[in-house]
Amino acid sequence: MEDKIRHVICPYCGCLCDDILIEMTGGEISGVENACTLGARKFLDDAGNRLKGPIMRKGDEWVDISYEEAIDYAVKVLSEADRPLLYGWSGCMTETQAIGAHLAELIGGIVDSTTSVCHGPSILAIQEVGHPGCTLGQVKNRADTIIYWGSNTIEAHPRHLSRYTNYADAYFFHNAFRERKVIVVDVRKTVTAEIATEFVQIDQGGDYHVLSALRAIIRERGGVIPDMVAGVPKAQLIRVAEICRQAKFGALFFGVGITMTGGKYKNIRNAIEFISELNRYTKWTISPMRGHSNVYGSNEVFTWISGYPFAVDYSRGIAFYNPGETTAVDILARKEADAALIMSSDPGAHFPRVCSEHLARIPTILFDPYPSATTHLCTLQIPTAVNGIDAAGTAYRMDGIPIMTRRFMETVYPTDTKLMQEIYDRIRKVKEDA
Amino acid sequence: MRSILSYIQHMARPEWLKKFFFAKTAPLVTPPHFRDFPHLTDKECTHCFQCMMICPAPGAIEVIRTEKPGEWKPVIYPGHCIRCGLCVEICPELVLDAGRVHTKNAQDGTYMQFQFHITVNPVTCMGCGSCTVACPVNKEIDPQLAAKGTSTSDEVIMRVYKGINTVFHEDKCTGCKTCEEQCPTRSILVARVLEPLQTVEE
Repeated sequence: MEDKIRHVICPYCGCLCDDILIEMTGGEISGVENACTLGARKFLDDAGNRLKGPIMRKGDEWVDISYEEAIDYAVKVLSEADRPLLYGWSGCMTETQAIGAHLAELIGGIVDSTTSVCHGPSILAIQEVGHPGCTLGQVKNRADTIIYWGSNTIEAHPRHLSRYTNYADAYFFHNAFRERKVIVVDVRKTVTAEIATEFVQIDQGGDYHVLSALRAIIRERGGVIPDMVAGVPKAQLIRVAEICRQAKFGALFFGVGITMTGGKYKNIRNAIEFISELNRYTKWTISPMRGHSNVYGSNEVFTWISGYPFAVDYSRGIAFYNPGETTAVDILARKEADAALIMSSDPGAHFPRVCSEHLARIPTILFDPYPSATTHLCTLQIPTAVNGIDAAGTAYRMDGIPIMTRRFMETVYPTDTKLMQEIYDRIRKVKEDA
Repeated sequence: MRSILSYIQHMARPEWLKKFFFAKTAPLVTPPHFRDFPHLTDKECTHCFQCMMICPAPGAIEVIRTEKPGEWKPVIYPGHCIRCGLCVEICPELVLDAGRVHTKNAQDGTYMQFQFHITVNPVTCMGCGSCTVACPVNKEIDPQLAAKGTSTSDEVIMRVYKGINTVFHEDKCTGCKTCEEQCPTRSILVARVLEPLQTVEE
């Protein structure tokens, strides 16, 4: 029997599309409507790929253990550790992240999310100069000029253009995308650039220069800029600046291509200041293209609990924040951490080699429903219910809108919220008894 | 020297000269099967653009707005036109005429039929939905799809299913190729299949 479930939230990327239709046949997902390739595979490839239960590394072998044994081990390792690192948090729900932040305070550890390797610099820039942002609904209904800077949207957030920015019908336009302009700025001609009105190809690391040149043109100081700026002809810069100035409502979206290149948060600061120059003439907004489903949520949660958005170090008993020192990569590269809890993310696939080596040396507990690259580094992997499939919770969309994900399947797996709560309660008891 | 003299003698024969300068050939007549440049009849153009769609010569025909409000007319550019007469044959409103095209069609019972085939490459398609949301026919059938990429109707030409753009009603395609132009990964192709047909005599 086929069952159709409407309004499912896709837990894959920061777009958090909330219009997914799932077809269930005999308790299994048989079809997905509306979701893009990435989101659809998240649902369709779920069956049969999960771990059956927690696995523990004994010598060179994996041994199946029970959830009780797994929790015992986690409680022991985390309560005895001197400098535990609690990292990840981008694929789990806000409720779990809150417990994570409290756990870090309890054990004097460091809590850091994947933000520190993606949009951390964006947050540093926002702390310096603010964030003239808006929700995606505003962009959909009002924006006539959209810039994607250092972001291959079609491959990373496929539905962003069709659902939130360019193609969707707008309340204030008659002809939707035919009245909008898309500008793509990137170091190479990406697939997103194929549909751009204007593609600006810049040299690697030239973001700061190009943004400064655009600011100069907007400020009517175009005379000072040379004929070529980081591989971009001056004539094109003047053309782009003019398109931006003529816009009635513009939106700039930037990806990891600009945050993780030379200059880091200074690039974003320059981009935000470019937007503020444009706001002298017209209305412009700027937003980061957040990657994982709930990575924005981790920043929100850590901020409302500790005051800092990521890389929060509780070893002093109070929250301490110093990106570059208390960020996960730095803690691991300096071989400081003596235990790690990785929550629903995959540092094994993304961290530098030294960090992965250190993770493999120390006791590492991984919460992930599926085997991943980090499985090969960890000591214990605990599979949990998948958020958005058989677990529900709150997730934050890339524009900061909290969305309640839906649970639409029966499960035998415990949720990560339940497991983390148990670990927290047990460690608290250990600390109180001591 | 002798050979030159004999050559001149040969060339200067009166009968040859007469034939050369006063040759009589048949006058140039347009044969009855010939398709001339299309010209406009006084029938009303509904700007369905089928003539533009079928024209094999680039830049030979354009359907444009006239100065009269709401009136459209095809314009033929003779420099580009190859006089194939396909536009005359396809026009459902008989706006154009050329030679004996219409008479001949009526006599033989010949007509044209065309349809569009949409092919999606499932390997490169990202399921981004740009084509589905951009499609003007989809927009009319399913306003929800147009507004936010959420399909609510099974009547659309195509929509994203299992992460791949899937074609449901090819027959509704009008061949505007908006999807093809808007696909960032060039995964969708619209092909026209044109069939000249003849009604079978009873």
